[in-house]
Amino acid sequence: MSIKIALVGNPNSGKTTLFNSLTGANQYVGNWPGVTVEKKEGKIKKNKDVILTDLPGIYSLSPYSMEEVVARSYLVDERPDAIINIIDGTNLERNLYLTTQILEMNIPTVIAINMMDIVEKRGDKIDIEALSAELGCEVIEVSALRGKGTDAIADAAISAASGAKTSHPLSFSRDIEVALSKISAIALAGMDEAKKRFYAVKLFERDEKIIAQLSLSKEKLASIESLIASIEKNYGDDSVAVLTNERYEYITDVAKKTCKKKSVALTVTDKIDRIVTNRFLALPIFVFVMWFVYFISIGSIGDWTVGFMNDTLFGEWIVPAVSAGLENIGCAEWLVSLIADGIVGGVGAVLGFVPQMLILFLLLALLEDCGYMSRVAFIMDRVFRKLGLSGKSFIPLLIGTGCSVPGIMASRTIEQERDRRMTVMTTSFIPCGAKMPIVSMIAGALFGGSAWIATSAYFVGIGAVIVSGLILKKTKPFEGKPAPFVMELPSYHLPVATNILRTTWERGWSFIKRAGTVILAASVIIWVLNSLSFEGGLHYITEDRAGASILEIIGTGIAFLFRPLGFGSWQAAVATVLGLVVKEEVVGVFGSLSSMADADLALELVGSADSAGFAIIGLEFFGGSRLSGFSFLVFNLLCAPCFAAMGAIRREMNNAKWTAFAISYMCVFAYAVSLMIYQLGMLFTGNGNVVGSIFAFITLAVFVFMIVRPDKLVKSNKKDALLDA
Amino acid sequence: MVATVIVASIVAAVFIAIIAVSVVNKKKGKSSCSCGCTGCANREFCHPAKSKK
Repeated sequence: MSIKIALVGNPNSGKTTLFNSLTGANQYVGNWPGVTVEKKEGKIKKNKDVILTDLPGIYSLSPYSMEEVVARSYLVDERPDAIINIIDGTNLERNLYLTTQILEMNIPTVIAINMMDIVEKRGDKIDIEALSAELGCEVIEVSALRGKGTDAIADAAISAASGAKTSHPLSFSRDIEVALSKISAIALAGMDEAKKRFYAVKLFERDEKIIAQLSLSKEKLASIESLIASIEKNYGDDSVAVLTNERYEYITDVAKKTCKKKSVALTVTDKIDRIVTNRFLALPIFVFVMWFVYFISIGSIGDWTVGFMNDTLFGEWIVPAVSAGLENIGCAEWLVSLIADGIVGGVGAVLGFVPQMLILFLLLALLEDCGYMSRVAFIMDRVFRKLGLSGKSFIPLLIGTGCSVPGIMASRTIEQERDRRMTVMTTSFIPCGAKMPIVSMIAGALFGGSAWIATSAYFVGIGAVIVSGLILKKTKPFEGKPAPFVMELPSYHLPVATNILRTTWERGWSFIKRAGTVILAASVIIWVLNSLSFEGGLHYITEDRAGASILEIIGTGIAFLFRPLGFGSWQAAVATVLGLVVKEEVVGVFGSLSSMADADLALELVGSADSAGFAIIGLEFFGGSRLSGFSFLVFNLLCAPCFAAMGAIRREMNNAKWTAFAISYMCVFAYAVSLMIYQLGMLFTGNGNVVGSIFAFITLAVFVFMIVRPDKLVKSNKKDALLDA
Repeated sequence: MVATVIVASIVAAVFIAIIAVSVVNKKKGKSSCSCGCTGCANREFCHPAKSKK
């Protein structure tokens, strides 16, 4: 028979790291709270009969947030055979609050004190034996990150599962205990003794979900209410606060007996935080860090790898070799073109960015794992709050840097519906991994591989989130006070190689897989549509029989939409539309089309037919205009995301109208921003177009008005305050 | 001619296989997002039926 063990603890206490260590799973470990928003199951490596469940991080068993609801429902309804309560040793008092509630559930519990290496480094001491005696359950030191003590905690949990139930060590004041006994007698007769304590406490706290679950009669509820009211009168506080206070008194007493803190001197983390979260330095440091990341991944090393992959590996070696091989075995000319130009050109253009993506993912994983990205959430919360937005929205944005889909889904942790909807709508503004090849391609084709293009793309994304927040918050469906955001900053630590490499590989492999599947199929379609022409009857385009390709006709038909934005070529129009399927396909389209371009054109542009990809893209598709290229980049960053992300938006909105509104909003917003960039840019460079400039100024005026117009909510709050006065 | 038929058939087979697998995956509810499911914190949202089993 299998044993069920639940892993419970505060957010960011190391549950998922311990889960991965015990089960050998590859669950994503993020160094900020809220990474695990659903429970996950795995079998313990050394004992396949034991099922370990990783629950979302929670501070209490009160159902205030979605994570708390998920974790509590599992513990109450499923009642695992044992609980591993993982505690962050550097924050013993705060973590023990949840412990006191877990122990009330009378489920066998063992406690894993994590991050003991940091506790020791600080010179603090935790008396494990004394703590075990105080809490009435086994306590074991672990370091989930380094794999220390993990086997011992698993063994302890397995033996606890078959042992006696844990008794709750915390007794409240006598009158409260009497009230709890009476509540048990009134409402919980016939219930399993082990469950009574938890339910009695929750009834005392007027927990609505528990009251609804028990379906108590009005008379019983009235009796319970009179008991609670009497206690509240005696203590002069509400029942939840009374119990919270008693719990903290108990915890303070336990901590005093078991934990010795060396001094209150600043830790290394505190010293670093004084600089990186400094009111004035935080944002410039953040900009510098992101610039450095993009300088390494896109600008310097990354640029070299792309040059090698696209020009040398694919341009000079693979494509000519494939062409020669196919010609040698006697394949028809069209088939050689389909495989060499269409498939290898399209797929190769995307694969050419793999090393660059791996470097970028590696650097982002390093920043995340060492703890810096948590600080970014804190820094941005400060900015967001000043603008009336919830800092909680920034966590999905951070997750969305890898892929928008999990970022959009992470918005589930936001309780307020209006904030959640707004986060869903804006998460995909942040450039995800799939959009980075577009950034890199434009940087390489028109800006000499400058790292500033990628940095600006990232901050254009953040700017779009902030501007959207300011605009939407003043509209009726989104108005309201921002939800409070409480976040604990983890201590800095040296990144763990396995975590970093696993995250990097996961993202990189997914990128490669998509190039070999979706991009390959799309490249075939692009080649077919670009090789056939309707002019003079359907035929394959050759030097002898030319004509506009089907793709060119389709592209030209929609290109007029993008002409005001500066990228009116049919190739750019086709790439933009196909980018809605998967964003990498933007690069795939340019790769295929530049491979299929006339060799004479390549020779004319760069003097070589083999490595002319970037030159053809820059000079032929964008007319060599940097403004056109940047406008194209911004439009593709901000407009509707890929199909998968649109599906995620539909799931999270759970409403067709809201989904349509979200996608329309992104497209209109992207169009407006690109229009302003191109038309005003043209005006400032002395090449302005009168009609275009007028529309750009009108758009700018609308934006400014929407941003600065008075907030009705703030106005009415001020009015209420005046009336009250 | 023979080489053209064989190579074209292989390309067609790969193309059809990609489309077929994509359709099957879509029907199974598998997402085609960029992060991969094994390392995704939210995989349970995409695969609720699987997790219930």
